[in-house]
Amino acid sequence: MFRCVLTAAGLVLFASSTFVHAQKQTIGAPPEASNMKLVGTNDLQARSAYQPTIHHQGDRWIAYIGHHGGTDDVPVPVNPMTGKEEPNGTSIVDVTDPAHPKYLRHLPGQEGKYESGGAQMVRVCDGKSLPKGDPNAVYMLRTFGSEAHEIWNVADPANPVLITRIAGLKDTHKSWWECDTGIAFLVSGAPDWRTRRMTQIYDFSDPAHPQKIRDFGLPGQEPGATGAVPTELHGPISTGPNGNRVFFGYGTNKGGILQIVDRDKLLNGPKEPTPDNLRYPEISRMPMSAFNGAHTTFPMLDMPVAEFAEDKDGKTRDIVMIVDEAILNECGEARQMVWFADVTTETRPMMISSYTVPEASGQFCQRGGRFGSHSSNESMAPVYYKKMAFIAFFNAGVRALDIRDPYHPREVGYFIPSITSATDKRCIPIEGGARCKVAIQTNNVETDDRGYIYIVDRANTGLHILELTGPARAAAGLPRN
Amino acid sequence: MRRGTMIAVAVIALGVSGVWAYQRVPSPVEEVVHWREIAWPFPRDGWPAGRAFRCDGTCAGAELYVRAKRGFCNCDSGVADDDEVDRVADIDLISPRFAAVAPGEEVSFNELRGRARRYDLDMSDGVGHAAIGVAVSRRCDLFVAAAQGRGEASGMQRAMLAFLETQEMRGWVLATLDGQ
Repeated sequence: MFRCVLTAAGLVLFASSTFVHAQKQTIGAPPEASNMKLVGTNDLQARSAYQPTIHHQGDRWIAYIGHHGGTDDVPVPVNPMTGKEEPNGTSIVDVTDPAHPKYLRHLPGQEGKYESGGAQMVRVCDGKSLPKGDPNAVYMLRTFGSEAHEIWNVADPANPVLITRIAGLKDTHKSWWECDTGIAFLVSGAPDWRTRRMTQIYDFSDPAHPQKIRDFGLPGQEPGATGAVPTELHGPISTGPNGNRVFFGYGTNKGGILQIVDRDKLLNGPKEPTPDNLRYPEISRMPMSAFNGAHTTFPMLDMPVAEFAEDKDGKTRDIVMIVDEAILNECGEARQMVWFADVTTETRPMMISSYTVPEASGQFCQRGGRFGSHSSNESMAPVYYKKMAFIAFFNAGVRALDIRDPYHPREVGYFIPSITSATDKRCIPIEGGARCKVAIQTNNVETDDRGYIYIVDRANTGLHILELTGPARAAAGLPRN
Repeated sequence: MRRGTMIAVAVIALGVSGVWAYQRVPSPVEEVVHWREIAWPFPRDGWPAGRAFRCDGTCAGAELYVRAKRGFCNCDSGVADDDEVDRVADIDLISPRFAAVAPGEEVSFNELRGRARRYDLDMSDGVGHAAIGVAVSRRCDLFVAAAQGRGEASGMQRAMLAFLETQEMRGWVLATLDGQ
């Protein structure tokens, strides 16, 4: 009898300790993982991170990582390499040996906290790939807080040199740069437009001499318009002159819109921002639920779908993966997740499937911070393109999806890093104050041509370099490690 | 002495009654305005529904719609300009066809700061309405109010701001910004 009681008590204790463990991350606890393995880390000087871009230059692999502004507790962190306080900007890290990343340089950004400062976005092109670039240069396009876009020569990544600055803006965000043409779709807040974020298109084929092509947005956002203002832009992705499409994602966590645009008409059509001219290049527009936004609209065109292989028509499909961004801590909003749209018939795009992390699998609404999706990898390198997608899911870490059948995406792996002493708290208002918790906030993810996966943390935990293992590695078609 | 005392008592009594009488006299707005709660009249959108009120009194027929929009991105700059008011103040729920009549102005209530702006609405029934949009922020969260009616806009704005300053509404505004 006594043994039974002891056993029952033990079971209750075990169950409750497991529950507590699932709810709360603790310093020193191991990462949570399935079919993904940690290769190396860097603390990124405990700066809140946004976009990582991994670039192969010469015989080196360099990670360029954009940062948000500082925090209330540490508005201007110290750069341990210089001993000086520097507003969050861009971290430049040599990841040639992913097990031992080497921090090369912190390039300061705009002073300011959270999204009001820093230098969140970064894209990189080789000078030799740009039509009129210096073949010896490597160009890094980055935002400078909310006020400018900048191009730096990072041929020597430890010693960047400023080339160009486009300033006088009221906001910036997630831009796209075609390295073969130099055309850049900059997400900006032009002062006279009615929206915080729209598109400014530039020809950066010669980064030292940028040429403005046009401004673009949804009708109603242009200067002088009246009435309702459509949802603001989050980011575009272009398929270049060959694909001739630009996929624009509007919205963050609400009122999302996928807009499919004819690139040639966009670049060469009438440029005056009138409602008719803004409509001219649009092929179609798919409004999403008011509950969800479109942070990332990642095109995967001409995908063979095994299930349709014997069909007379529609064997391949044009797919756009749409990723919403969660904004509120502790599930204070509708779930933000991943959607797959079949855009094969471009004028009739249709949502075909979705994916979210099951909340109960980790009691993520109780862990603290944001739970929900934020962004996907955007590399189109063959190693993963149209086979595997990686989704940053805030306190649920990064999720590896097998997307070979986009009608039925399937999670095949995940990795939730351990928190450290640098991990910042996340708070929610309660009556008369705030209640705070500390949890991983995996914000962005990118992959390199070698197959390494890079995740960065919004709550200052730094960079984690991962690789797939087991069945996830097999699903991606990678050799066994 | 007795006469002096009586005069002093009379002066004090008159003074007290005067203050009492002054306090009892309602301001022009309070005197004739009562906001009666009605059902939220708009279809579900991305933000949770708020509260709606109809005015009885001098602004009879005017309606007021208020709600929190938690998770606003400009955590530091708040409601920075009039374009922000155009975008977020829910005027588009009343009619998607609206035009601002003038630059907005700074407003604050309940320790929240932001901007208010007046609009002309093109209603579906062809009758022109005036509207006021108010957007104020606390950290990363917004509180918005929109009023519309056939009456004069400045009086409607005074009435809505006075209502939002009442004890009941102050408590509700803070609670809804806390997600309660």
